[in-house]
Amino acid sequence: MNSKIHIMVIEDEKNICSFMATTLSAQGYKVSTAANAATGLSLSTSSCPDLILLDLGLPDRDGIEIIQEIRTWASIPIIVISARTQEKEKVLALDTGADDYITKPFGPSELLARIRTALRHSNRLRTDSLLSQRPYQADGLVIDFEKHLVTLAGNEIHLTQVEFKIVALLAQNSGRVITYDSMISKVWGPYADNNNRILRVNMANIRRKLEKNPADPHYIFTEIGIGYRMLEDNGTG
Amino acid sequence: MLHLHSLFSSQNIHHPQSAKKTLQNTGVLQNALITLFLLILATALSFIYFGISQNSANVALLYILALVLIAHLTDGYFWGIFASLAGVIGVNFFFTYPFFAFNFTLAGYPVTFIGMLAISLITSAAATHMKQQMQILADNERLLVEAEKEMMRANLLRAISHDLRTPLTSIIGAATSYLGNEDFLNQQQKKELVKQVYEDSNWLLNMVENLLSVTRIQEGVANVAKSNESIEEVVSEAVIRFKKRIPDVRIRVQVPEELIMIPMDPILIEQVLINLLENAAHHSQSTEPIFCYVEENEDMITFHIRDYGIGIPPDRMESLFDGTAYTGNSSSDSSRGMGIGLSICKTIITAHKGRIDVTNCDKGSDFYFSLPRSDEE
Repeated sequence: MNSKIHIMVIEDEKNICSFMATTLSAQGYKVSTAANAATGLSLSTSSCPDLILLDLGLPDRDGIEIIQEIRTWASIPIIVISARTQEKEKVLALDTGADDYITKPFGPSELLARIRTALRHSNRLRTDSLLSQRPYQADGLVIDFEKHLVTLAGNEIHLTQVEFKIVALLAQNSGRVITYDSMISKVWGPYADNNNRILRVNMANIRRKLEKNPADPHYIFTEIGIGYRMLEDNGTG
Repeated sequence: MLHLHSLFSSQNIHHPQSAKKTLQNTGVLQNALITLFLLILATALSFIYFGISQNSANVALLYILALVLIAHLTDGYFWGIFASLAGVIGVNFFFTYPFFAFNFTLAGYPVTFIGMLAISLITSAAATHMKQQMQILADNERLLVEAEKEMMRANLLRAISHDLRTPLTSIIGAATSYLGNEDFLNQQQKKELVKQVYEDSNWLLNMVENLLSVTRIQEGVANVAKSNESIEEVVSEAVIRFKKRIPDVRIRVQVPEELIMIPMDPILIEQVLINLLENAAHHSQSTEPIFCYVEENEDMITFHIRDYGIGIPPDRMESLFDGTAYTGNSSSDSSRGMGIGLSICKTIITAHKGRIDVTNCDKGSDFYFSLPRSDEE
């Protein structure tokens, strides 16, 4: 690797910090760590990392504020680290501008997968937006954004307009969680009612069209209280 | 039954003083209304009676009856004395000659007045005394309940500490032995030790998540933050999280064809599903896939976790959900944590106004819980 990808870890728990640093360095990433928000912010302004892992429960400042502050000057992908029961904070962090979240406790494979997804999306945005127009392909599901065509194992799946919009949104962000609110505003417009029942009904219909067993989904996963996440594009049409 | 939420929430403490204060505020108005109502009733009845029989002696009896009731139904002495005074004046004004005028010079009048006053004082005293006795009894009962809760809390804490200490001992032991003997251990042994640490910490995590989820239920049974959730999403997420924890588990899932949304705290219901799945995977001693399915009834939705293993021993059926399973001595490894997990399930389902139960089938057991379809009582 000619230039190592630089990841900044802002986390106050020493053990978790060192576990992440070890895992990431072992994978060939360059890692720097900060134990509080102040150090984290000043280090990220000076060194411009490629990705930030941010713990929501820092001692000196609220995690949401840090996201807001970073977002004023950079679109560096931010992955938020949080406890399982803090759904509201997670949603708030995501809607404030975090790219994804990971729930404590997590294993190295989960952490690396999230990082790869986030980096891939940010690369796509930077390099060539046309690239994101190539069809989504994962385990037999192909979504052609230009032709508005969805096929599963070669068979065309008929989706309504709204259903296609939802699936396309998730597929373009595959591997990342999309919150209910951001889905609603992107599919139904910014003034849509925030009642997510209509979203659930559409999701239920989509699931019945795409999944073999709606209760044991393979492509679209629910993150209760947060939103939906689509299986990462893995190029296997 | 043991309700864990009451063991964990500190907000649950009773406030007798503030309760008493509000009781007194509403009490004054209520007492006045009772007194007024009964006096008017007595006067009205007296008019009817007097109109028929022209006998003022029995009119006094009607007032005395009202007096006894007032003294009995109101708090303290004031309203009784007030009523006896009103009664004496009423009899004098309405029902003795001259009618609709006062004449306190009537023969024997002081006797009537003192008699009525005495009756009202005695009745008030008796009533007050009785109320005090009842209050003391109620207080005692509350203290007993608190003491019982306190004992339950102590038992639970002891059980949890015991349950937590076992895996911790094993983790510390494995880690120490790795650190101290690194040079003498072969690759296989090292791997075993780390695997042990991994498994035990996963078990600990499960326990901690269970305990944490209970803190979401606050202040009394009916207080869970409910939202309308699609059951297929909750079931699928529970299954996915469970599979992540035990990757080689086999499980079959089925939900109704139509989308069903019911009010619940999805995180808590997910926890219940995971606990029941975990139970089935660990205790059924069967490799047949667990069957998780949802049944739709008129006003309830029932979730089933069906395993095809050894079933539940009949003598444990009774106490399975009530949290006594872990206070016993049987802290063998095979059942560790099971009691707490199921008792937390029961607490969560009860807080949703639902029902949880288990039956033994031909082969294996069926744990199921029902949730109401709507929030209405």
